[in-house]
Amino acid sequence: MTKTCLTIALGVVLAPSMAAAQTPERPPTIAGCPTENLAFHNCALQKAKAFNPPRTPTGRPNLQGYWRSRLTQAFSVEGVPADHPMVKDPLVPWDISPPEIVEPANRKIPYQPWAVPIGREGVNFREYVDPRTTCSTGGVPRLALQDASQILQPPTDDHVLWLHDDHHQFRVIAMGQRPPVGRDVKTWNGLSRGRWDGNTLVIETANFNGYTWIDDSGNFYTDTARTTERLTMIDADTILYEATFEDPTVYTRPWKVSWALVRDTTPGFELMEEACREGDRNLPRIREQGYKLYFAAPWRLR
Amino acid sequence: MRHGLTGSIVAAAILFLAPTIAVAQTPALPRTPDGRPNLQGIWQVLNTAAWDMQDHAARLGVPAGQGVVEGNEIPYQPAALKRKQENFANRATADPETKGYLPGVPRIMYTPFPFQILQTPTHVAMTFEYAQGVRIIYTNGTPHPRGPIEWWLGDSRGRWDGDTFVVDVVHFTDQTWLDRAGNFHSEELHLVERYTMTGPDHISYEVTIEDPKVFTRPWKMSMVLYRRKEPNVRLLDYVPALLMEEEQAELERRKAN
Repeated sequence: MTKTCLTIALGVVLAPSMAAAQTPERPPTIAGCPTENLAFHNCALQKAKAFNPPRTPTGRPNLQGYWRSRLTQAFSVEGVPADHPMVKDPLVPWDISPPEIVEPANRKIPYQPWAVPIGREGVNFREYVDPRTTCSTGGVPRLALQDASQILQPPTDDHVLWLHDDHHQFRVIAMGQRPPVGRDVKTWNGLSRGRWDGNTLVIETANFNGYTWIDDSGNFYTDTARTTERLTMIDADTILYEATFEDPTVYTRPWKVSWALVRDTTPGFELMEEACREGDRNLPRIREQGYKLYFAAPWRLR
Repeated sequence: MRHGLTGSIVAAAILFLAPTIAVAQTPALPRTPDGRPNLQGIWQVLNTAAWDMQDHAARLGVPAGQGVVEGNEIPYQPAALKRKQENFANRATADPETKGYLPGVPRIMYTPFPFQILQTPTHVAMTFEYAQGVRIIYTNGTPHPRGPIEWWLGDSRGRWDGDTFVVDVVHFTDQTWLDRAGNFHSEELHLVERYTMTGPDHISYEVTIEDPKVFTRPWKMSMVLYRRKEPNVRLLDYVPALLMEEEQAELERRKAN
């Protein structure tokens, strides 16, 4: 494959997600906190201690409503430095942005050596179709990166439902202790169990199929991954979002991203059906460029 | 004697009252805090409507089945009946299901896969294993958005008629079928669905189908939704389009090696 070909193909690969992926402008502050992700995370943790969230009739923090992720971009959870070659890409320039990673301190994914050449604009990025481009789910937490989402809390307190505009994805979060699910049961968005830790909704998810990426750069986890997400209101219209990734197959230690979910208060706003597969014309063009279908091949068959 | 008579009267009274009690006593329905029947849980049909909504004998790979269409006849207009017959003949390739698309409503209700209902005072959400479909049914009194809109699963607005949940659905595409036997509709499809719990583990599901471009009059289907009772049951996923792609990926890999 020639270099020109690769650049054109990249443009095609990224174009569909780009349509939705225009990085929203980063305001100077959100909920009174600075908007560089680590600074936001530290400030928001303090704010959360002082904020008494609105409650549901059963006394739980009321997270219901429409939310949009802020302090996020599609390209890399490790951030896009000013000297990154993709910043000057003629077709799909990436936006300069800080890392979303807040742990570890170097703000890089703590890959085991074998995984380094696969993630981080490695084999995945160079040789495979971004799975999100095939109309699959973005996966956790990528499905919440771009489009609006909606949280519903049935008053029976036994489930929380997190609906996403992104390719009509949803996550049914079973609250409380549940019988375990066998590890050979694998799903695109994982199976989630939730609990309340004070005012924080904690979502623990396993049973992933590992077929999704974390970002456009091809950063990844496998089917042994577990994620722990924490949603904490820091004011009436802002949630501090934290996600910790653990995967003994890929990483040397747990690592964490953090950003804000900001309430969409547009009057009459509703989620819309985002059928993707049903109108998709991009995949055949991308495939013509020689990109392979992912389905975890770079790690599953290693 | 006196004693015996009393006994007989009591016995007669029991005999007389017992059937009445049995009939009048509706099993207690689970209810949400606002007093509505609690439809939440994981549900699934146990019928053969996915293959053919009407009465049919077994075919290879198709279980025989008693239809779910009231009166068994679907009132097609003459041209539409011809198309239905063509669809049936070409169903192996012409059925949109073979492409792995969202299957439309009501077809998604009787795919033989589980779905989960979640309920708040303002929303009833249905999440489906099949194609990761989702129906968000607004019960907050809002009307359908102004059309024309062509959504694969339509736009659903619900209300409670006593203990029956009634959903009005419009804004469809003409790209989905009603079953694997070629029954179809146009974008003018209009549905009225009625969900009535008949006990803690059963929902009577009835849907009226109206489509002035395809049928001569509205007609009805009815079936039972059964609760999945396994204590560890969870909603998983079955995404046909991606499963097809995964097979393709395996083929290409084998060829390359």
